[in-house]
Amino acid sequence: MVNNTPNDSFPTPTSQLQLETEEVLAKHLPPEDSTVKPCLQRNNHLRFLLRNLTQGFPIRYVAQDASQPWLMYWILQAFSIMQVGMDPNNKRRAIDRMLACQHPGGGFGGGPKHEAHLLPTYAAVCALAIAGSPGENGGWDQIDREKMYEFFMSLKQADGSFTVSRRGEVDVRGIYCLLAVATLLNIITPELVEGTPAFIASCQTYEGGFACASFPFFTSEPGTPSTLLSSPRPALGEAHGGYTFCAVASWLLLQPFNSSQSYPASINTRNLLRWLIQMQGNDIELGGFRGRTNKLVDGCYAWWVGGCFSLLEGLDGGVPEESEPHESVHDEKAEDGDDWVDEDTSSDPWNTDALQEYVLYAGQHPAGGLRDKPPKSADSYHTLYCLAGLSAAQHKITPDTGHRKALEALWQPNPDTSLKLEGAKEKKVLDDDLRREFYTRALSWNEDSRKKRVVVGGNENRLNATHPLFNLTATHTDGIMSYFYGQPAPPSRARPDTK
Amino acid sequence: MEQETPLYADRPEWADVTPLEQHENDQPLAPIQYTVEYKDATDYFRGIVKIGEKSERVLELTKDIIDMNPAHYSVWQYRYETLLALNSDLEAELKLMNDVAIEHLKTYQVWHHRRLLMTRIRKPVPELKFIAASFASDAKNYHTWSYRQWILAHFNEDELWKEELDFIDHMLNADIRNNSAWHHRFFVVFESGIRPGETDRERILKRELIFVKQNISLAPNNPSAWNYLRGILEHESVPFSKVIDFVRPYSLTHDPEATGDLVDLENPPPSKEAALPCPPAVEFMADIHEAQGGSDGVLKATELWKALGSEHDTIRKKYWDHRIREALKTIQT
Repeated sequence: MVNNTPNDSFPTPTSQLQLETEEVLAKHLPPEDSTVKPCLQRNNHLRFLLRNLTQGFPIRYVAQDASQPWLMYWILQAFSIMQVGMDPNNKRRAIDRMLACQHPGGGFGGGPKHEAHLLPTYAAVCALAIAGSPGENGGWDQIDREKMYEFFMSLKQADGSFTVSRRGEVDVRGIYCLLAVATLLNIITPELVEGTPAFIASCQTYEGGFACASFPFFTSEPGTPSTLLSSPRPALGEAHGGYTFCAVASWLLLQPFNSSQSYPASINTRNLLRWLIQMQGNDIELGGFRGRTNKLVDGCYAWWVGGCFSLLEGLDGGVPEESEPHESVHDEKAEDGDDWVDEDTSSDPWNTDALQEYVLYAGQHPAGGLRDKPPKSADSYHTLYCLAGLSAAQHKITPDTGHRKALEALWQPNPDTSLKLEGAKEKKVLDDDLRREFYTRALSWNEDSRKKRVVVGGNENRLNATHPLFNLTATHTDGIMSYFYGQPAPPSRARPDTK
Repeated sequence: MEQETPLYADRPEWADVTPLEQHENDQPLAPIQYTVEYKDATDYFRGIVKIGEKSERVLELTKDIIDMNPAHYSVWQYRYETLLALNSDLEAELKLMNDVAIEHLKTYQVWHHRRLLMTRIRKPVPELKFIAASFASDAKNYHTWSYRQWILAHFNEDELWKEELDFIDHMLNADIRNNSAWHHRFFVVFESGIRPGETDRERILKRELIFVKQNISLAPNNPSAWNYLRGILEHESVPFSKVIDFVRPYSLTHDPEATGDLVDLENPPPSKEAALPCPPAVEFMADIHEAQGGSDGVLKATELWKALGSEHDTIRKKYWDHRIREALKTIQT
């Protein structure tokens, strides 16, 4: 018997909606008979995505007309997570489609001839990481990094934040997109990220999660330059799953820079963990994640919240026992694909089994594609983020000291890959040590083979791992980063993610 | 109703503009199947951007596209720049956009446009009223709440702040579980500076404690209220143990001895209909014991975490186990 969330005989609109949702979800609860295994309907989902890719999107997607690179990224990355590659012809068409969105002034727009915007810039660069390669028609060398950097700098605000576009809003989604792209393409400089860690930290709310932005107050003494006050600096909006993912991933991407500062910014990790844990729904909600306190569970938070638990492993002082090197590939028993276990040895603080059940039992639309919750229809956004969340629940990905040492050993100082920028050198160029740190930290994430998780439904449901910071596979992250940092191919990981 | 309006391509007054197609090739991957009207209007928009025209008819064109796709940020951006170039009446623009805002509450651009307008119009009082009315259709809309907070902080006038607590009461009376309203209260009371009449912080803390305790007593299984209680204690550096007498009854089953006659404002009891023990209260008690420290405190906390994991909050069993492991580390020497 699975209980409904108690309303203490004090019904309100929130508890009413919650109850209605629980009544629907109750019809999707795992069957009592535990021999029936849930199955990931891979072929259905692939067909759904392929239909979007080749035939296109129905008219209701007109709201995504300014998010065209996202439509491409959601499809391509969902393919990658399901271990499906693309043929050269479709790769070329995907590359052309993304490059058509590049803005002459730098960055990418939501469609051809749209203004540049940080969100589609991330989506386009990630789609190019998946489909592209170096060379004349490969898409990578056609990204104008100098112009992109100018575009990024033009968005920078006095409080360390960035607007998403010219005259656009400030929020941590845009900052995450900027930092992910700047890290992938090797265009981070001290002047670009100055003040950004403190901005991110100021978005953490009393609940522990992060809000979309914060409000800056400045001193206003006549005749003196105004300076940013550290307090008050209130978060605008409540703690939210999507913004929390973006803030925490940004925080990690900024770590090499932040820890090199005399007064590094800090966040409250304990409250963050508590809030993330509280976002997991109860049994009646099949252990799916919600995005805010007292809101409904939604499949996309499988990634936005579920994906944060990997990120926590990368926080300084996060989990001490993780600091030893992972086992190497040779110690692994099971390379024949029969390595799933019935017993969880991961010592994770969150319920990875329950999240997998939510995605498998409630997230899959019978006609293909994945969704927010029943009885909603599937869409490409939910298809990717349900799958990415399912992957995050199957694979324990942590920073691997051993892999990082291997990357450091191969590191070659390669100043030619830095941007050619005019101006004060110390502001414009990342010194080689720091550049190496950005590179090796970002690529050090690896599956922890000592900590086994249950793959609910069995190994047929196993997906590719996805990089906790970028939501790209390790192969695609390694490929694009080693190219733009001028580094040799990274050493193989203990468990290659692409067969 | 829209069918009455002819396509831009068929309108003589637009004949001087060359429409510009989006795609240079015929078969792009992952296309959107646009309506004829949308394709027509955006083709003309691209044509307008190319020649850089900023005129009254551009306002008509951009409004048309916004009605079909309010997330088209390039169109909003161009519209805003056109308004400035034409020296248009921005208050009229704000009014024109009221319906768009209500109809497309979840669109970032709708609210950002208002923000841009407000920085020039500088009349925040009516805007707060508009925002309050918009909550009738979505009381938890993220953009609307953060926009309201921006208005308050940006204009930062005492007159704006003074009615916020009443407004929050109104919102929480409608739904005590509205976390956006709880967050707004934290923003107003603790995070956005200290206003005249609020300098006695002890009094403010006392007021807030009474407020949150009363709300917890009405509906104890409400994580928003518990998070607020935790938040204000941490913000004011007050140990959780300060409210132990209040929290304890919520962490137990109903006390049959309890009489409902005595009203203790400091420690309002759970309602008779409440589902007890309530997990946030059990968690809170465990935190108090853990903070007390020593093996006695940790053991008491461990008992509660075990009860949460095995009985009251089983979905989070691994978290409660994690808490036990972490706490045990502190007493092992």
